[in-house]
Amino acid sequence: MLYNYTLPCILILSAAAFLLGRSKAQAITRHSGLRSLHSLPTHYGVLTAMACAIPAMMVFAVWQMAESPVITSMIVKNLPEEVRQLGANEFTLILNDIHNFVEGNIVSDSVNPAIQAAAEHYAELQAGARNLVFNLITFTMLVTTGLVYFWIKAELRARNLVESVTMVFLIGCSVVAILTTIGIILSVLFEAIRFFKAVPLTDFLFGLDWSPQTAMRADQAGSSGAFGAVPVMVGTFLISFIAMMVAIPIGLLSAIYLAEYANSSVRTIAKPMLEILAGIPTVVYGFFAALSVAPLIRDIGQFAGLSVSSESALAAGLVMGIMIIPFISSISDDVIHAVPQALRDGSYGLGATKFETVKNVVIPAALPGIVAGVLLAVSRAIGETMIVVMAAGLSANLTFNPLKAVTTVTVQIVTLLVGDQEFDSPKTLAAFALGLLLFVFTLILNFIALRVVRKYREQYD
Amino acid sequence: MKMKALLLASALTATMISSAPAMAARDYISIVGSSTVYPFATVVAEQYGKSTSFKTPKIESTGSGGGFKLFCSGVGVEFPDITNASRAIKSSEVETCAKNGVKDIVEVKIGYDGIVIANAKQGEPLKLTRQEIYLALAKEVPDPKNPDKLIANPYINWSDINSSLPNTKIEVLGPPPTSGTRDAFVELVMDEGAKSFEFIKKMDKKEFARVAQTVREDGAYVEAGENDNLIVQKLQANPAALGIFGFSFLDQNSDVIQGSIVEEQAPTFENIADGKYSVSRPLFFYVKKAHVDVIPGIKEYLGEFSSEKAWGEEGYLADKGMIPMPEAERAQYAEAVKNLKTM
Amino acid sequence: MQNTPQQSPITLRINAGLKKRYNTEKRFKRMGISAIVIAMTFLVFLFGSIISNGYTAFQQTYIQLDVSFDQTFFTGENLAAANFPGLVKKTLYSMFPDVTSRNDKKLLTQLVSSNAAFRLMGMVTKDPKLIGTTQKIWVLADDDVDMLIKGHYDRNVAESNRRINDKQLAWIDALAANGKITKKFNTQFFTSGDSREPEQAGIWGATRGSIYTLFIALALSFPIGVAAAIYLEEFAPNNGWTDLIEININNLAAVPSIIFGLLGLAIFINFWGMPRSTPLVGGLVLTLVTLPTIIIAGRAALKSVPPSIREAALGIGASKIQMVTHHVLPLAMPGMLTGTIIGMARALGETAPLLMIGMIAFIVDIPGSVTDPATVLPVQIFLWADSPERAFTEKTSAAIIMLLAFLMLMNGLAVYFRNKFERKW
Repeated sequence: MLYNYTLPCILILSAAAFLLGRSKAQAITRHSGLRSLHSLPTHYGVLTAMACAIPAMMVFAVWQMAESPVITSMIVKNLPEEVRQLGANEFTLILNDIHNFVEGNIVSDSVNPAIQAAAEHYAELQAGARNLVFNLITFTMLVTTGLVYFWIKAELRARNLVESVTMVFLIGCSVVAILTTIGIILSVLFEAIRFFKAVPLTDFLFGLDWSPQTAMRADQAGSSGAFGAVPVMVGTFLISFIAMMVAIPIGLLSAIYLAEYANSSVRTIAKPMLEILAGIPTVVYGFFAALSVAPLIRDIGQFAGLSVSSESALAAGLVMGIMIIPFISSISDDVIHAVPQALRDGSYGLGATKFETVKNVVIPAALPGIVAGVLLAVSRAIGETMIVVMAAGLSANLTFNPLKAVTTVTVQIVTLLVGDQEFDSPKTLAAFALGLLLFVFTLILNFIALRVVRKYREQYD
Repeated sequence: MKMKALLLASALTATMISSAPAMAARDYISIVGSSTVYPFATVVAEQYGKSTSFKTPKIESTGSGGGFKLFCSGVGVEFPDITNASRAIKSSEVETCAKNGVKDIVEVKIGYDGIVIANAKQGEPLKLTRQEIYLALAKEVPDPKNPDKLIANPYINWSDINSSLPNTKIEVLGPPPTSGTRDAFVELVMDEGAKSFEFIKKMDKKEFARVAQTVREDGAYVEAGENDNLIVQKLQANPAALGIFGFSFLDQNSDVIQGSIVEEQAPTFENIADGKYSVSRPLFFYVKKAHVDVIPGIKEYLGEFSSEKAWGEEGYLADKGMIPMPEAERAQYAEAVKNLKTM
Repeated sequence: MQNTPQQSPITLRINAGLKKRYNTEKRFKRMGISAIVIAMTFLVFLFGSIISNGYTAFQQTYIQLDVSFDQTFFTGENLAAANFPGLVKKTLYSMFPDVTSRNDKKLLTQLVSSNAAFRLMGMVTKDPKLIGTTQKIWVLADDDVDMLIKGHYDRNVAESNRRINDKQLAWIDALAANGKITKKFNTQFFTSGDSREPEQAGIWGATRGSIYTLFIALALSFPIGVAAAIYLEEFAPNNGWTDLIEININNLAAVPSIIFGLLGLAIFINFWGMPRSTPLVGGLVLTLVTLPTIIIAGRAALKSVPPSIREAALGIGASKIQMVTHHVLPLAMPGMLTGTIIGMARALGETAPLLMIGMIAFIVDIPGSVTDPATVLPVQIFLWADSPERAFTEKTSAAIIMLLAFLMLMNGLAVYFRNKFERKW
């Protein structure tokens, strides 16, 4: 069936349209000289290709979405009365059966003749409609391409047109980030509000006790249920802080060494190697933290006479720090590498050593990029789950002692969401409230970070 | 070159997207639910997939709560057909289901999961009573000097509770409060342990629950997530610690860990099966009756699950560590499955 | 230098400080080296432990059976419906005629994987001529036997603490003495989907799932991320709105990934009606997860392109878009690719967001398209790491090796392009 090849077909025709448009523009230049043309010939080509592809894609997308409902509504009237009277959702089951039949899958054992007839009817309609749509798309492509082709003349401002479409695309892409944020807020907000109906907002924000030991079943009376977010937040920041204490020095020193001191062959090997650290599955880090690092810390602690719990923030933080090294090392390396050589040469010319150049010239010049890397690393540390679950446990202690067990927001969210308790209980809904709280909190932190960076940012050339 | 690469990439994307059917019909069973039932349900699903012409069901591990949430969202092809649960469905969940049009639900009990308390082989084997476990793990316990008053749990070492127990720190790795295992443990061990004190037993229901079911949070009880393999390995690294987890993990790791004897009974398959070792809880799954005839293969899946070769005493689920129901109960549920008896 | 007749006070001061400055220099350089060495040590250690745990999974133990495809077994019309498990049992009993009690017989049949019967079924349905003949066939051994042969079980512990008891041990030794037990390369691991029996479990289903998911994530997040970074850094007016967007994107990077899963569930599955558990939805969710990383790294890279490049391009009459696409973007490409490498590495290792969209699941069938239910490598690792059977430990590590190989392949490509674009000025 040709319909299955619609997309490749659009692609090929658009490529052809590109060549067509460009050749016409070239023909104009041959005819009346290069300078007479407003834009480059390629711009005319791209314009033609866009005209060919965009409307066709739209038609295709519309049909992809509309096909199932349209055809379904057409076969519904042929279905027996009792099927039609089913609720909307049960009806989808019958339709599923019909779809299965159409695609030649195994169907449920109760194939009644009405469904069989409907399925055949469906297949027939679908084939017909698809042919029609394919023809429509081809027709659209030919018409739009033809129109633009005849429109092309020396004065046509093709570059401006192409660039305005490009701008729309660029803006569209950055809007995705905004939409994501809105989506995230919406998807946690309602459940969070339901949570705050059960647990007062102030108890949640300022409570010093996190212990969701409420009852799981209706016939049980609840034991203690405290939903104070403070210890969870403190745990998050404690672990992230430890991780940053590991990752910032190692990451930054590695980046400086790689970008400024190491010869290029060392750099081309070492940098991707370090990047692998970010891709090792967190389960591996979790086992490493829980079974190698945590017992080691406990033994050292006992040797030094400290009381160390077998699950400690330190173990999780250290290992997490290793995981996020590449966030700092790679991004910093890139921006340090991109600092113009002229700056360094100027510094050397004044008699500075390499270290002094790095400290006083290169790092300040690369600062915005380094901060971006560090912020990304912090973000990753805050969002990490597995290492903390495995090495730092789930007990929410309000403590700044890195040798104690703590828990983090993300860990609590995951644990609450996959728990066995009823989904609509405050115990599960707390996950959404925590998500919202973390969101607001990091928003404030980022706001401060932006201000700070603005203040120290220096633009060099 | 850049242009070519771009073209190639978009051609690849295009073919990948268009190779997907516009609206895929579902021809497999969709199952969600508890991570405790997951290892058993998957064995059945695999057997079923290999021995019939149907596709192997898709089984998600979402937790019982999330499973019911999905299951009760409605009737229709986008909603799951079956949900596994490590606890019975709650009445509020039945209401949610009914509100969304899921009216006929078939409840199937599949067997039991033993909950064991274990430590590493290097450590001393323990003999515990439920009262001792309660005293070791509750947040508030009766004051040893003034037995009618509750105080914050003062016990640090096991030997503080009973001098015959080893002189090691109380450190128990167990599931978090969101886990069904924890819920069952609290009810079967802590409640019973608390009842051994007359004055606690006489408390009203709410107060009793608070006293009996609140687990201490001073570090003696370590909430360790749901990865039981990790608990097993942590026990090996720390011979003084105890762990609470499902029987199948003890069964698989019997060479490195040992189950503690609770109330004179060792946690063996036989003892759990005939009810002598009382710390076990039932496992369930729930079927949407409206889906049975329209999603291919549900009946056959139910048939496979309720066959003797699966959940019987010699069945393959028992090999995987699930404790089978007594024969009469099996017959009763097999009958219910056959007739699709709704709740 | 020393023999200059007279030195100015400044030179003297500089010379006096030189030694200290050179020492600082040396110390700093050493710190840089040690930082890299520390990071590398961890990498090597992690690699070492993964490989040493996992390499045994690339081999699997097989047992040779002398199966006589007796005519009496195949009386029915449908060959596939014949009692193949019974055939396997009968073969085993005939190999050990002195095993008579019911209990012992059960122990004996436990030596062979349940896969053996399905293998015989496959052979017979493919070639019915086998009926009536006797064949020597290598079938999979049970995972416990496999663990014993590979030395993961200690033979010397007390019988009650072993999963293989003394009788089974004797049978295994007898088989080994006759050369009827061997280890072969585990092709099944690379060709089949998930299984609850460790000896039959394969990684191919999850690998396919990862390929589809990451392909979608990369195809969407790279262009969108680069475009968004370009717009925000080069075109967006410098006002409160852009600040808001910048904070917003930085903030998205800190959102726990499971929340992205909630978002995916709400939008892609519930609102757009896309099928659950599919690489399509997984890819879309991972796109959203990686976008902030790519945008932030991309902006950092664009920022580091010196303004003189832009001015020069504009000065000779390029439009702003031409300036960006012809001059700024190529120079910023290495940084953009770094963001992509790190973002994709994260996407490849994510499990939490996939939980909400149903990809943490037991899926045996190998996905054939982006709308088939599938799981991905990290999920497979997570599920195996959580399985009670001991034999899954080595499978878990082997799956991690697969994932790392996948990662290195993917990164290798990106690194190649990064090095190509990189230049110093």
